[in-house]
Amino acid sequence: MKILLVEDNERVRKFVTKGLQEAGHTVDLADNGRDGLFLAASERYEVIVMDRMLPGDIDGLAIIEALRKAGNRTPILILSALSDVDERIKGLRSGGDDYLTKPFAFGELLARLDALGRRVQVDGAQTALQVDDLRMDLLGRKVVRGTRTIPLQPREFKLLEYLMRHAGQVVTRTMLLENVWDYHFDPQTNVVDVHISKLRQKIDAEFERPLLKTVRNAGYMITAESR
Amino acid sequence: MSDLSTLPELAGGAHARSSLGWPRVARVIRSSAVALALGYVLFGCAALVLFAVPLRYAWQASVEDVRIELLREDSQRFAEVFRLRGPDGLAAFIGERVGMQIAGERILLLADAHLKPLAGNLSAWPEGLPAQPGTYTLPVNLGGQRALSTLVRTTLPGGYNLLVGRDVERFTSIEHWFWLGLAGALAVLSVAGVLGALLIRRALLTRIHSIQRTAAAIMQGDLSHRLPARRHGDELDTLAQTINRMLEQIEQLVHGIANVSNSIAHDLRTPLAELRSRLEELSLTRPAPSETFAEIEAAVSDVDSVIRMFNALLRLAEIDAGMRRSEFVEVDVADLAAKAVEFYLPAAELKNLSLSFRERGGVLMRGDRLLLAQAINNLIDNALKYVPEGGAIRVEVQRGSGDAIAIAVSDNGPGIPDAEKPKAAQRFYRGDSSRGTPGVGLGLSLVEAIAKLHGGTLALADNHPGLSAQMILRSGTPEGEPRAVSGRTAVASTARPATASIG
Repeated sequence: MKILLVEDNERVRKFVTKGLQEAGHTVDLADNGRDGLFLAASERYEVIVMDRMLPGDIDGLAIIEALRKAGNRTPILILSALSDVDERIKGLRSGGDDYLTKPFAFGELLARLDALGRRVQVDGAQTALQVDDLRMDLLGRKVVRGTRTIPLQPREFKLLEYLMRHAGQVVTRTMLLENVWDYHFDPQTNVVDVHISKLRQKIDAEFERPLLKTVRNAGYMITAESR
Repeated sequence: MSDLSTLPELAGGAHARSSLGWPRVARVIRSSAVALALGYVLFGCAALVLFAVPLRYAWQASVEDVRIELLREDSQRFAEVFRLRGPDGLAAFIGERVGMQIAGERILLLADAHLKPLAGNLSAWPEGLPAQPGTYTLPVNLGGQRALSTLVRTTLPGGYNLLVGRDVERFTSIEHWFWLGLAGALAVLSVAGVLGALLIRRALLTRIHSIQRTAAAIMQGDLSHRLPARRHGDELDTLAQTINRMLEQIEQLVHGIANVSNSIAHDLRTPLAELRSRLEELSLTRPAPSETFAEIEAAVSDVDSVIRMFNALLRLAEIDAGMRRSEFVEVDVADLAAKAVEFYLPAAELKNLSLSFRERGGVLMRGDRLLLAQAINNLIDNALKYVPEGGAIRVEVQRGSGDAIAIAVSDNGPGIPDAEKPKAAQRFYRGDSSRGTPGVGLGLSLVEAIAKLHGGTLALADNHPGLSAQMILRSGTPEGEPRAVSGRTAVASTARPATASIG
């Protein structure tokens, strides 16, 4: 993906750039608001990473608002040291699509960028999700693998749905907490692991090909590809 | 009191520091007590004047009417005498009357057709008197003196003219007294008002000064001072008491912050020290890359837990400062609790613990959704940590008396010894039994802070056996308004069959 990184802290810039490049992405850099705005407006990116505090007391949120007003719909991930939920809401209201607080784990950033940039096209008419022989009927709220119907409780269904909507992408525990349980704080994240292993038990245990994979130090992924 | 005068706010106090003169008077007038008193005085004066003056004129008019009536009656009587005794008879009568008068009560004049005086106490027919009979007021020459008089002119048969009148100014002394009296009342009112205002102001200033002195002492850094509040219960006392309560809260907060800083310094040093030695050892021993990277990953994990600690402390600080109260929305507490139970259920199953939920009564309240969820999660998390295998945890939400809402997480684990209960919610406190379990001891203090933010408390009680941790919150809605949410019974207590679950 072609990614724009607007960040004034040099170390963070280097760290993030290297990691993204190693993951196969192209990264353009801006270390201040004006250049960032210029680049964002004049080039096409798949995702923009915008730091909130930029030199000259420029607020990254203002830049995002400007971009949105100009009709720019590029997904934007906001980086900020302000971890307050209110700040998060402010950021999302200004037009941001995701919010990550510093300090962050690189794997978290990578997974979220993937999720933003490669948004699976979900048209309103989509009634089913499918990975390999696992099929989820969104209307009937049923999950079938092969020929067997898999009974799932509502929360398990929601969990699997999120994973399948991001099939092929890494989904971190934090992303799961936020999107499946609406928890914007940090409970013991290993509770999520227990939910995942329960789900795995149901959809993978008695089948040949495991679909729900653990990505070390990152999170989970549902994919038909074997690693 | 040299320290007082250095404070700009206090230097302007009505002290002999400023010079006498207009600025001082202006300041006195600006005093709200004086302004109020002056206002009342002015109002009183205006009311007095508004009442007295129209009354006086109305009274005067009616008295005037009566007097003129009397003059006319007199005229008629004289006309009667004229009819009976003729002009000479009337002249004699008038002469008698004039002689009997002591001092010009009546002005009498009988004149012939040519206005030549025949009898009476006027030397000449008054000038400027209109020709028709009627009542007139004009100056006449009475015994050498000019006197404004009311005259009733009558024409008698034969062309004779009769004047019966009255010196108007004779009675003006009464009117003098009236005006004098009014002025006197106004003066007394004004003086009394101004004096009263100044006295009130002085009394107020004395009390305000004592408040200022205490405030100065507080501002110098001694938070233990309190404002003097007499037990009279008037407005200043109420204000002083309110400020005192605020000072107490501030004192507690400041002490709390001092405590927290100490705790932070102490408790963060440990993981940071460990981190440092880990990294230093790494740089000294330089093991093989695989081990090095393993150590580095562990170091990152250490840093993460320090960060988590910081975040939790920051959260606590925010909550303590009450910053989040303005964000309150309507929250369904039972819904939050049910979700939390559902979230922790698999983890409970893993440990063979039964986790159940029960709701009784409408439990909507105004609060911070996120914080309440976090509090409930913390309590369940704690229970999961400390209750050994095979135990039971129960989450209950119910409406209490008044507008109270109780969220209780009870278990049959080891509980907290009574001696430790009061300390359990302190920051960084970790009971002896918790050694070896992960966590930094902020969980319960967070729950307590959240409970306080919602106007409530955290109560730790013995569950015989086990612990019952109960958050009692104020719902913000009065009793009788619970909108009971439809049928939410015990969420699946799906402990695995082999569990000996104690319900």
